[in-house]
Amino acid sequence: MDALKTLKAAAADPYVYGAAIQAKSGKKVVGNFCTYTLEELIVAAGAVPFRLCGTKEDISLADKHLQSYCCSLVRGGLEDALRGNLSFLAGAVFPHTCDSIQRLSDIWRLNAGFPFHIDVVLPVKLDTPSARTYMIDVLAGCKADLEAALGVQITPERLHHAISLYNDIRGTLGDIYRMRSADPGVISAGDLYHVLKASMIMDRDELLPLLHTLRDELKAGAKTAPSTVGRRVALSGGICNHPDIYTILEECGAQVIWDDLCTGTRYFEGQIEENIVPIEAIANRYITRMICPAKHLSVTARGENLVNLAKVQKADGVIFLFLKFCDPHSFDYPYLKKFLDDAGVPNILLEVEAQLPSDAQLRTRFETFVDMLK
Amino acid sequence: MADQSTAKDPEKERRKIKSVSKMKEIMTTYYIEAKTARENGKKVAWITSGGPVEFLIAMDVIPVYPENHGAMIGASKMGVGLCEKAEEMGYSRDLCSYARSDIACSVTDGGPIGGLPRPDFLVCCNNICGTVLKWYEVAARFYNVPLFILDTPFIHTQFSEASRKYVVQQTYEYIAFLEKQCGRKMNFERINEVARLAVQGLRLWQEVLDTAAHKPAPMTAFDAFFHLALIVTLRGTQIAVDYYQQLVAEMRQRIQDGISMVPNEKYRLLWDNLPVWYRTKWLSDKFSSHNACLVGDTYTSAWSGIMDLIDENNFIETGAVAYSSVYINVSLDIMFETLKKLIKKYDVDGLVMHSNRSCKPYSLGQYDLGQMVMRELKIPTLIIEADMVDERSFSESQIETRIDAFMETLKG
Amino acid sequence: MITAGIDIGSITAKAAVLEDGRILGAKVLFTGYNSRQAGQSVLDELIAEIGITKDRIDTIVATGYGRNSVDFADKAITEITCHAAGAHFIDPEVRFIIDIGGQDSKVIRIDENGRVVDFAMNDKCAAGTGRFLEVMARALEVDLDGFGDMSLKGNTPAKISSICTVFAESEVISLISKGEARENIIAGIHESVASRVAALAKRVGVMEPVMMTGGVAKNIGAVRALEFKLETAIRVSPYAQVNGALGAAVLAGRINH
Repeated sequence: MDALKTLKAAAADPYVYGAAIQAKSGKKVVGNFCTYTLEELIVAAGAVPFRLCGTKEDISLADKHLQSYCCSLVRGGLEDALRGNLSFLAGAVFPHTCDSIQRLSDIWRLNAGFPFHIDVVLPVKLDTPSARTYMIDVLAGCKADLEAALGVQITPERLHHAISLYNDIRGTLGDIYRMRSADPGVISAGDLYHVLKASMIMDRDELLPLLHTLRDELKAGAKTAPSTVGRRVALSGGICNHPDIYTILEECGAQVIWDDLCTGTRYFEGQIEENIVPIEAIANRYITRMICPAKHLSVTARGENLVNLAKVQKADGVIFLFLKFCDPHSFDYPYLKKFLDDAGVPNILLEVEAQLPSDAQLRTRFETFVDMLK
Repeated sequence: MADQSTAKDPEKERRKIKSVSKMKEIMTTYYIEAKTARENGKKVAWITSGGPVEFLIAMDVIPVYPENHGAMIGASKMGVGLCEKAEEMGYSRDLCSYARSDIACSVTDGGPIGGLPRPDFLVCCNNICGTVLKWYEVAARFYNVPLFILDTPFIHTQFSEASRKYVVQQTYEYIAFLEKQCGRKMNFERINEVARLAVQGLRLWQEVLDTAAHKPAPMTAFDAFFHLALIVTLRGTQIAVDYYQQLVAEMRQRIQDGISMVPNEKYRLLWDNLPVWYRTKWLSDKFSSHNACLVGDTYTSAWSGIMDLIDENNFIETGAVAYSSVYINVSLDIMFETLKKLIKKYDVDGLVMHSNRSCKPYSLGQYDLGQMVMRELKIPTLIIEADMVDERSFSESQIETRIDAFMETLKG
Repeated sequence: MITAGIDIGSITAKAAVLEDGRILGAKVLFTGYNSRQAGQSVLDELIAEIGITKDRIDTIVATGYGRNSVDFADKAITEITCHAAGAHFIDPEVRFIIDIGGQDSKVIRIDENGRVVDFAMNDKCAAGTGRFLEVMARALEVDLDGFGDMSLKGNTPAKISSICTVFAESEVISLISKGEARENIIAGIHESVASRVAALAKRVGVMEPVMMTGGVAKNIGAVRALEFKLETAIRVSPYAQVNGALGAAVLAGRINH
């Protein structure tokens, strides 16, 4: 399974992979923190979107700029930037996500010293015609900013190519997810996590054939996971930066078979129409894709989506997983919990920081949760 | 009961701001009207502090401000109990304490006025933060009422034409929303009338704040925190205009009579961020004991800061644009320009920044702003770590030590 | 059928033996640094006291922090599931369990069959655990055994506002120097623990009747303070400290070989 090996290698050492991109392909690398990043435009500009997820280092330089009461994604991202760990980035794109990212953008722009910095102030509400008009305007502005920053022309041809590339990547990821949900023995949750991680940082032209190969191998009957019979669990939340969660959960008797994470389905959900004006088509996907809690579609959209997801994917339970200090997810949690409780779906909350709780503490929670599901 | 005549210090009495009692009267009437709105056939809307209330006033809807309620909860020292209740409901302790205490109040009818009147609908403008969006979603689900969101895009470098178009288009959406909720057409003349009163009120409020530029200052930021309430809750009414006219006159008289709030003002400081609502007196006395006066602040000047962007004869096309430009909806470097102006105007010796756990847009970036202030203006910064309403995050001895140490360096 | 449960905590190791639904005995020892050894010792000593031999035990379940190191157990089950089973065994009416141990605290809501419906744990922070009481007893130079009784004598509990145990300790010391009555300080300390645990409990949703288990259940001051915070009577199992081991023994009886 060489395709999987290649993907996992990239995911295991993302900065090593990232640093080698320009030398290998001549493409510049553009950092970002959010699934609302207009990656299609970045690829159409001939660059590689590189998703940042926080640091492995201890926080020291970021302390000069950020108080402790913001999430580890923001503090960690700044730490890596200030330490020079991200020197391979040509610049960064900051879609408006939340209050913390908003301020991180300013602090990063003023201190991190990258050649370019693009803010993309997308609408927060996505349910009105005015929001759609604005979103399209913002996309056009982002396109212009990228052209200026990267010194390229984003032609309609390049846009069409990027769109069909992303449709293929996202479709393939969706296929693999669906295969796993149908039979968790096909590929382990931990491996799938690494596949997603790789998909968010690799040269997308290099990525696609690898994903195709992987999907075909899995379809043909290759398996990477032991055929375990465990309870089916869905994860709901923000980013997951801890692959150990998947393996420990497996050892405790549960399989993650779906999620609504930024590092999961939110990344690949939805296709872009290929026969209408590209900018509008891209906008449509961001408007119709199920929102993260930093956006507004309706007051119960996410709750309905979660209950439906659990039902469709036949999840025995849901584990809420988000970062400590993440305001949008923390505000949604009580109502999402109520929706699941009312639907009879057992659930627990795991609030994570840069470091996971100890192995023993995680196992105690997960094992008990699995006991609740029996 | 202690003998009142010997307890009253004539000096202290002289320094007290006389308009305070009028203000309390007005706020009491306001809340009574809000709580009896239904009986009087009026609608009640909850609106965020940075939202364009002028349209509500023009529609004769009574605006209620959960954030102002949050401030009252803090000032009444009821924040801890309510926040604990919200945490029992599953809300993280790390969330904004205005939101936590307000959400708890909706369920318990707690707080200093027995809870806010239920809203007929909600108006949420996110120019102040993203938290209000989530908070108002919670309220919308809880009360099962319509929610209007005015999305004012953040300004990193400049306010784009796309943003301008967006907020103006939303203004029309807002008007349509109000017409639907109230079952009648918007009176467009009334909007401009209300806008005129709003701008007049903002100008008067700014004049009040300007008096503290005098040395010594007739009032402090802690007084401003108190007198702010009307420009937030009753902006666009004659009541607010009349009150601030009275307050300005009193301040000017105090200057004439040589009455300063801090008896022996030697050091002038600028406050940044929201107040520590449950400790305004403690902080005021503490700084006063060092002969220091908080002569200005970035929070109370945020409302009047946008008034020049409003064209009161064309409020529809300029109002939302003005609201988009509030102090905390702009990037740090733009904030720094405002901060510099304030520091120079009030001629301050130091900056006191409240690192407020509850407010990320206001607090994240303070360290950089403090550094910029030191680099460019050679002015030192004191950071006070606390929370605006949740007293569990206030550590008295630690903060006392920091204030003392800071004042020692100023004096030294 | 004879079953045994072994609960290896970070400080103490407990064992319990059941025969056909009857408690034959229970024992508590210090864990020390070798969990497996502690598991072996506590079971060996217990069965010696009871007067049975190891081969007569049909099934052994291990629980607690060190459960996976007890390799001679037939199965390892978390202490939450075991506490639920243990409390239900002692008192089938119980629907909510509060377990305050030496280093953590947990709250568990159970159904009519003693199965876990929801739970929450505090294993991050000493405040709200037995450790907090230990630290404060030392600061006040009072024996931990009489700590709870003394707290009942404090009519006006002192307010201890610090979130953190370390800062709370300095708060207590400053209260002492200000001349605050010892009983009131101790009452305040118990109130502080109860406050943390009650908050955890309310997040999960308390359902009566409530039972307290774990070592701190022996502290009458903590029990009363919690009763006050939760506004409900709290039942204390006579087997409070060994409840986890007991539950493990109960669950051992349900394992088919």
